[in-house]
Order: sequence, then structure tokens, then C-alpha cells
Amino acid sequence: MFKKLIEESTGKSPWLFHINAGSCNGCDIELVSVLTPRYDAERLGFKLAGSPRHADIVVVTGPITAQSLPRVLRSIEQVPEPRCIVTMGSCPQSGNVFRGSYSICGPLSKYVHVDVDVAGCTPKPEAVIDGLALATKILQEKRRAMK
Amino acid sequence: MIIDALKYLAYVLVFPGFLFCFLTGLLLCGIDRKLVARMQKRVGPPILQPFYDFFKLCGKETIVPAAANRTVFLIAPLVGLAGLVVLQLFIPVFSFSAFSNVADVIVILYLLLIPALSIIIGGASTGSPYAGVGLSREMVTVLSCELPLVLVLLAVGKKVGAATGTGLCFSLTEIVRYQMANGSLLWRLSMIPAAVAFLLVIPGETGSHPFDAAEAETEICEGMLAEYSGAPLGVYKLSHAVKLLTMTSLFVMLFLGGIGGRLEALVYALGLTGGAAGALVMLLSVLVLFLLCVLLTAVAISLVHAVTARLKIEQIFKYYWTVVAALALLSLALAWYGL
Repeated sequence: MFKKLIEESTGKSPWLFHINAGSCNGCDIELVSVLTPRYDAERLGFKLAGSPRHADIVVVTGPITAQSLPRVLRSIEQVPEPRCIVTMGSCPQSGNVFRGSYSICGPLSKYVHVDVDVAGCTPKPEAVIDGLALATKILQEKRRAMK
Repeated sequence: MIIDALKYLAYVLVFPGFLFCFLTGLLLCGIDRKLVARMQKRVGPPILQPFYDFFKLCGKETIVPAAANRTVFLIAPLVGLAGLVVLQLFIPVFSFSAFSNVADVIVILYLLLIPALSIIIGGASTGSPYAGVGLSREMVTVLSCELPLVLVLLAVGKKVGAATGTGLCFSLTEIVRYQMANGSLLWRLSMIPAAVAFLLVIPGETGSHPFDAAEAETEICEGMLAEYSGAPLGVYKLSHAVKLLTMTSLFVMLFLGGIGGRLEALVYALGLTGGAAGALVMLLSVLVLFLLCVLLTAVAISLVHAVTARLKIEQIFKYYWTVVAALALLSLALAWYGL
């Protein structure tokens, strides 16, 4: 019963940690807009956590610059299991307009397993919420698979 | 003998103790979040959200940082929670008190420090620089709240002591009993500044807006909690929720104890006697206490949270030691001159 309770709760309280890997700030602002009164992702239990150790879902924005790569990977490692990784915007998937630049190490999926990609430059808040809801389902699956 | 032991065990684990604290504390926390959301024209999380958060955190991996002292890191949150549960045992529910003559207001004052100390020690054991900044701020916050809180308790003690002829009254049971016989202290002119001061101390003690510089998640990653994850983090969140209950129910007992007398009169007016009347009084007391706690949370925490921004740490200190302390001192002076 206790296990079931935890499983249910995992799907209802996903906390986000946001990493900016060289983003132009467009996606970062859109992510914050998801939490504003208009879209209010908190009604689904989403909360922006201050530390990676509190997070369930890691949201990565930006084209993974050479400077940020080791820091992104280290931050992701600090997130306790079960965790989900969501990329936001086209940059972490393909490099977007920065593709081919000497200072870009993307896509992120070369280094870690990415659970959900939300494409767009920048994605609409509705798309972001949809992606996060999908990540929450995956999170619940991962919790079920634990132990 | 065994019956007594079982009774005290039930007190500690179920009624004024752990289970009661767990349920009502998290419920208050959920109501607070919902109210803040509604004040900001949001839909807001479900009222049971803190329960989901707590159980989710129980199911997460607990990472102990390499630099941390493992034992202290894991035990500190439990010590803080235990301190709060013990504190709740000493706060009477109107006429009912689990341990009536054991402790007074001074013990409550000391016990209130334990959760803050546990979070400081736990944070310090992680060796994180964010925790270092956070704990220095937490210490200043605790110090700022302490002076007004002591002055408020002195004012109430003097008021009740002068009325009952014992000089200074520090027994919380005595204070509640006096109010049940003579009406709530909140409606006395001399006690109104003290009540306002206590209302202002509540957000500082619970570390909520605008006095949350110690746990500022946007600047110092929630300070002392930065390295905590999984179940220990859940216990800290639970302690925070229980502290809402502790502070608000302490306010009810200090200033609104007279309501207990009204409840008893109401039940006896219905013509009930014996065990049934006792049970009904108890049930009503708990219900009324919870409703008053919700009301106080709404006024002292949610409303303040929704309309203010975070203060800097030196502003917090200055605010408590001038404005709030002056209010409490005014009450003390008035009570001293028998008003």
C-alpha cells in the first residue's frame, strides 16, 4: 500500500530544475511563463526547485556550449533517482541556428538519455506543459520499475 | 500503571502528538498554498499537494554528499521533527492538555529553538557553501524573532499573573484556564499590540515570506536544504508544515483561549452530562482549534506571502527589533500598569 501511495504521489508532485546550457534566454522566459497565473503549472503540482538534489525533472535549454557541458552533466548526476530529462527548444536537440559552431557540443542525447524533447524556437507554453506532463508519466513508470 | 503508559503513548503517537501534527500540519500547508494561488488569480495546487510532495520525497533516492558527516546529516531532520512534536504535546487544546503541570511557557520557548537548531546543524554538516550562507541567515532570523516573542510571552504572563494575583504567570494551562473563565485576552485593550506582534512573529518563525531570506531558493538554492534529497528533505518539509500548526495553535491558546469556555457552556446548555459531554467538548475543541489555525494561517502567512517581496536579512533584523519589539513592549508596559 505504501509503495502504491509513493507511486501515485510521484505522478502528482514533479519538481523542476532548470539548466541553462548557453540558451538565448528565450526558452528560459517561456519556462517561467508556464508557472505564471495564465498557465499555472502549479495546479499539476509542478514547482521550480532551487537545487538539483530536490528535482525530479531536469529541463535543459540552450545548445550545450563547450563551457557548459561538464557542468550540465554534473548537475544532472546530482539529481536523485527516479529522474527525467526534458530538453526544451530546438537548440539541445539539433543545435538550431548555432549548428556547426566550434563552441557547440550538442545534441544533449549524445551524452545522457533524454526522455522528452519539446521542439520549437521557442516552444509555446502549451507544448511545454504537454511535454512536462509526458515526463511526469515517464517518471511514474520509472518509480514503478524501482526495487 | 500500564494503562497510564498506554495513554501517554497514545498522546505522543496519535492525538496531540505525531499523527495529529502530520495530518493537520500538512493540511494547513496545502490550504496556505491554495490561498496564495487564489490571491494571485491562479487555480493553485490541490489542497492535498503537501501530502503528495512528502510521499514522493519518501520514494526518492537519498544522496549523502561526500563531504558530509553521515550520521549528523541523517539524524538532524528527525531531531527537529521530534522537538516540534514534543512542543505540540505541551500546547493545550483549550481545557485538554496532555501533560498539564510539567512544562510552561519557558519550556515552549526553548523547544521552539530545536527545529531551527536541527536545520542549522544539518545544513552545516553538509559542508555546502550555500548552506553556510543559509545558516548564518537562519541564525539571525531566529535571533530577530526571539526578542519580540519573549516580550509577548512576558506581557501575557504579567496580564494573567496580575489578574490571578500570582505576579507573573508562566503556565500555559493556567493562562488558558483564566481565559476560559474570564474571556479571551485578545479583546483586552492592553493585549492587542502583543497579539499583533505575535501575528508578525509567525511568518518569521516559520520562515515564510517576506522573512525567508534563509531559504531563498532563487539566490542560495534553499540555503541549508541545498544538499538534502529524498526522505530527509521530506522530513524537513514536514517540520516546516508542523511549525505552522504549532505557531498558530500557540496564538489561539495565548489570545483566544476564551473560546474554549464558550464551547463548554454551549455543550452543557444542550443538557448533556458525563462522558458524552466530555467527548463532544473535545471534538468541538479540536475542530474549532483547526478552523482558527486555518484562519490565522490565512491572515498571518498567506496574505503576507501574497502581497510582499523578500526582505534582506538586515532589514528583517531591524524590523523585528524595532517595530515588532516596540509593539510587544507597549503591551508589557500597559499590562504592568494594570490596564
